[in-house]
Amino acid sequence: MKRFKMPPWLVLLLPAIIILSAVVLIPLVLSLYSSFTPYKLTRPESLYKWIGTFNYEKALGDTKFWAAFGRTILLLTIALNLEMLCGLGLALMVSKVTRGQRALRTAMMFPMMFSPILVGFQFKFIFNDNVGLVNNALQSLGITDMAIPWLVDGKLAMFAIIFAEMWTSTSVFAILILAGLFAIPQDPLEAAKVDGCTPIQSFRFVTLPFLMPFIYIAMAIRSLDVARAYDIVQIMTNGGPARRTELLWTLIGRTGYVDAKMGYANAMGYISIFLAIFFTIYFFRKLTAARAELGMGV
Amino acid sequence: MTKFTNGASIAVLALGLASGAQAGQFDGVTIDAKLIGGQQYEALYARIPEWEAATGAKVNIISKKNHFELDKEFKSDIAAGTTGWCVGSNHSSFAAQYPSLYTDLNGLIAQDSIDGFVGANIAAATLGGRLVMLPRAQFDVSALYYQKDLYTDEAKSTAFKAEYGYDLTVPETWAQVKDQAIFFADGPNFYGTQYAGKDEAIVGRYYEMVVAEGGKFFNDDFSPAFDSAEGKQALQWFVDLYDAKAVPAGTTNYLWDDLGNGFASGTIALNLDWPGWAGFFSDPSASKVAGNLGVAPAPKGSAGVRTGWSGFHGFSVTEQCDDKAAAASLVDFLTNEDSQKIESAAGPLPTRTAVWDYVTEDAKGDAFRTEVLAAFKETAKTAFAVPATPLWIEATNLIYPELQAAILSDKTVDEALADAAEAVDEMMREEGVY
Repeated sequence: MKRFKMPPWLVLLLPAIIILSAVVLIPLVLSLYSSFTPYKLTRPESLYKWIGTFNYEKALGDTKFWAAFGRTILLLTIALNLEMLCGLGLALMVSKVTRGQRALRTAMMFPMMFSPILVGFQFKFIFNDNVGLVNNALQSLGITDMAIPWLVDGKLAMFAIIFAEMWTSTSVFAILILAGLFAIPQDPLEAAKVDGCTPIQSFRFVTLPFLMPFIYIAMAIRSLDVARAYDIVQIMTNGGPARRTELLWTLIGRTGYVDAKMGYANAMGYISIFLAIFFTIYFFRKLTAARAELGMGV
Repeated sequence: MTKFTNGASIAVLALGLASGAQAGQFDGVTIDAKLIGGQQYEALYARIPEWEAATGAKVNIISKKNHFELDKEFKSDIAAGTTGWCVGSNHSSFAAQYPSLYTDLNGLIAQDSIDGFVGANIAAATLGGRLVMLPRAQFDVSALYYQKDLYTDEAKSTAFKAEYGYDLTVPETWAQVKDQAIFFADGPNFYGTQYAGKDEAIVGRYYEMVVAEGGKFFNDDFSPAFDSAEGKQALQWFVDLYDAKAVPAGTTNYLWDDLGNGFASGTIALNLDWPGWAGFFSDPSASKVAGNLGVAPAPKGSAGVRTGWSGFHGFSVTEQCDDKAAAASLVDFLTNEDSQKIESAAGPLPTRTAVWDYVTEDAKGDAFRTEVLAAFKETAKTAFAVPATPLWIEATNLIYPELQAAILSDKTVDEALADAAEAVDEMMREEGVY
């Protein structure tokens, strides 16, 4: 009798297949399955009751879910663009520094080293209406005699959250764009100078196209980060007050772990994943187009 | 030293025996426990070695977290089927959520031990006829802390009487609290009062106000009943104070720590808060109101009923525990008279009748402590627990954003309560409650 022998490619891939199945595939399939059940953490038997697309229909018809969805896209759009602009400015300035540039680059990365939870606590205190630094500073300087409700007013609270996000992550853009600046060949810039381009024209028509692939990579990475924003928001406002800062993951987290409605939370999660997939595809397409424009191939 | 150790061991053994355990009764047994963590709870846990010495069992604390974190862990344990540990910290507001996790302690605990607890506490710890937890000396009900000098200021008294037509005295009703809070407020440096503004906390405060106004939160079938005249009146109280800027603008983001620290900073006139804060507020190194601190029973609503949302911590034994008798013995020990005397010495309120008498007697001669105990004892007489439904926390998550929306004028009181009631009704129907 001939012993069954697995083909070598399968033997070599097997550890990866087993690990990926255990860590990614099985939880993914299980969570997808549970989104078609009324699964509650406190009632394990509810995992075996099939309710079809009820959870999806409920989420799709829920204005609170769509409001959170819209708010997440708003946060994503504003935070990403502001971070990109600030990161670009920061990188351009740091690239001109001739002495102490390494120290500056290291210092620039400090905010990234803090846990988002701690960043949340830090900004919750800074923006506290009663004992917070911002209000105390504004009152001491005589700019206002009111306690500005930074974390209560809908617009101000979103501003505070975006500010915290920017503080912690602008350096991601700055570092990646700085790497792009160092990679730019000097010949086209010199040619532009010889042709009489102003510094703004050189930047607009030479530097920026070279930087675009780096910007899109940073955008793709950060869009995934911001689309799953949870920790900073959870600490600063917990999605409130009155759902004014409710984002997808604060809503999903509360539904899944506090209300224990894991089936419904998973359904909302799967709908939300499309948001992340959309932005990833969008930025990779942009990246590919930018690379093609530079003749870097696809 | 040896003599002392021997003496201590004998004393320990005697204590253990007094709690109902017999020497060596549980030799070789290990009890895995998941307990609430925090400085204020440690004094009791320091007694565990005494129970170990008396019974021969070992206690292995496998998790120590705050109740919100423990709650998530218990839910994950139920989902994963990993409920083989034996003793867990429990809370009256959370207990109804774990119908299958904990065993009935009736039969495992001697009846005379159960009879020693305050009847209302045992009633609140009994769900569907099953005694799911034994209360420890961590009974919570809120009384009114206030700054005394506000009531001895002649100019204020005169101005108040001229404006409101009655004497400025420590408020006995919530209507008076509102008048006085608006009168005292002088933002952004001083506010009349404050309230917890989110999560279960604001719903708890609203719930007790509905009861004080003579209303019901849920009907008998757990359909929402708070969208009533009394419910609207209760919510209007919160709205009026916010509109009048008598509370800090950020109050809708505040939880217990923010409130406690706010009152201790001396910027709040009246503060409905828990007994555990009495020590902190009266500590001159931590609080600016120390030495100027008064405590009164919780005020009454328009129905003549005091607010009295209460809760208590306790210990439960899991259904899957291998040695329920040993686990129940530990729970009995941690909630017996000696344990409650140790815990309540630091300020928390007991749940055993005999220990209430003991702390009252012990406080004689200490005017502040006597005042604190009198205020909380009076409030505790009419205290009430949260509605006994496993969906309480889930209902609060649907209600609190609507209460906030009314407070922040995103919705009218009528709209907010109608939306909250509709959401709770839908959830109850979906869960098959009715």
